Amino acid sequence: MAKIDNLNETEQDILEIIKTVPDPEVSVNIVDLGLIYEVEHFEEDNKINIKMTLSARGCPVGDTILQHVQTVVSNMYPGYYVDVELVWEPTWTPELITEDGRAELDGGF
Amino acid sequence: MQAGLSTKNAPSPSVVLPHYAYGAVAFIVAAILLFFTADDIALSYMTPKVLSIIHVLILGWITMIIFGALYQLIPVVMELKLFSEKLAMASFITLGLGTPMMAVSFWYDFISSTYLMMTGGGLVILSVIMFAINTIASAMKSEIKTIENRFIITSIFWLILTVLLGLSIVLFPQILAYGSFQIHIHLGIIGWFMMLVVGVASTLMPMFFIAHQLNKKCLQRAYILINGGLVILVATMFFDLSSYVKIGAGFFILVGFIMFIKYNFGAYKKRLRKKLDIGMKLSVLAFILLIITLISGFLSVFGGMIDSSLLTKLNLVYGTSLIYGFLTALILGQMYKTLPFIVWLKIYQDKVGKFKTPLPADMHSQEAADAHYFFFIGGFALLIFGIVLSEAILIQASAGFMLLTALLYGYNTFIILNHKEKLKPLTLPKLRPRVAAKKK
Repeated sequence: MAKIDNLNETEQDILEIIKTVPDPEVSVNIVDLGLIYEVEHFEEDNKINIKMTLSARGCPVGDTILQHVQTVVSNMYPGYYVDVELVWEPTWTPELITEDGRAELDGGF
Repeated sequence: MQAGLSTKNAPSPSVVLPHYAYGAVAFIVAAILLFFTADDIALSYMTPKVLSIIHVLILGWITMIIFGALYQLIPVVMELKLFSEKLAMASFITLGLGTPMMAVSFWYDFISSTYLMMTGGGLVILSVIMFAINTIASAMKSEIKTIENRFIITSIFWLILTVLLGLSIVLFPQILAYGSFQIHIHLGIIGWFMMLVVGVASTLMPMFFIAHQLNKKCLQRAYILINGGLVILVATMFFDLSSYVKIGAGFFILVGFIMFIKYNFGAYKKRLRKKLDIGMKLSVLAFILLIITLISGFLSVFGGMIDSSLLTKLNLVYGTSLIYGFLTALILGQMYKTLPFIVWLKIYQDKVGKFKTPLPADMHSQEAADAHYFFFIGGFALLIFGIVLSEAILIQASAGFMLLTALLYGYNTFIILNHKEKLKPLTLPKLRPRVAAKKK
């Protein structure tokens, strides 16, 4: 289980790639919004698993965000099977936003 | 599909977008009509021109955008596909044709059974029936039974009663008493618009504020108080009951809306985005204007105890602050929170991750939006002063400000609807060298 505070080097790279994905509503990247729960890299199986959530159920751009994550990671890791799974547990709360994310939210407009 | 997602449930943009375009045009037409209606509005709301402009605003502007927005939002709040897109398109066409027919008939022939009024009214009723079937059939399939959804479904029930009574007034004016007209207005305003707005706003405002852990008991209390109050109010008018009962009903409704404001104020206080964008600035303004509506609306239930000219002014302030104040400001604001996303998804849904795309917030002119924010406040203030002081010149000045607001809003609607794809190469972070995927 590779929670995002306990990642190996490759998984950290993957997280950096996911950081290029913004939430189109608030224009803050989804890693700093605390939406990414887990990143797992399985070199032997050529597989990458990502578990993430959304800030609200029924988010109008929800599956575009998931698709965005899938596309950028697949592009950087050709030949890998990238599985992006949406989970609702644990429920996302504002406490999951990083310091950088909070700074961007406050000064974003 | 993964549960809780709505993008794949969203209807085709060709169903939703025409509603926004039509609404923007109706808002411009209403501002022009306001200029020529100034003398009438300074005196009463029961005149041909005032009824004409009210129906342009209520049907062509507010209902049209609400229909379009709901067709987009039902998949969001109920987590399913809309029952029928064809029915949605048919309701757009019938409402779009019926509204100008009714407006022209009111303008020239007041409340009379002209050919235009009967055809226009019939088309509007047809539109409402198709909308009601579509939304109720969608809701019945939904497993999401929230208090917000209950407000939306209940509002549709009140809407059906509103239009049926409206048609009856035109068809049988000699049978139905003056109280029927009052019931028609209150069913439409409180039962349809406000009930729906409470449901939709209480879903969207916390989502856009990014506010969590809100106390939904406020909304449950609001539901009981507003619906209970409305039933009592309508019964009071129908059976001509004591004014004290009417005051009691008004009090219930007032407290219900205070609960609704309290819920959304809670979301505002807990918001993560301290600085508001134009969409949320206009939405917050709408709630401030709602306070004027609630005060004037509550005072007007004292009816017979108030001097008749003062009561007319109170009623005018009540209706104006609701239609041209609260509802208009909310629609102006929520356009910026919904339309860019619909267009953005249509154009960029398949491009994300492959190119750098603009954000939905970059798709309109910020200068135009900021300007119409202030023109709207100026126009609204002049309108209220014009009514209170019975000064037609102030109302005409207000019409000028409202026309500027409508033109700038229309300009932004137009450029969002006509947004052309703008893609840039994607820049990705430089990563450490790694081993390529092993061939299996």
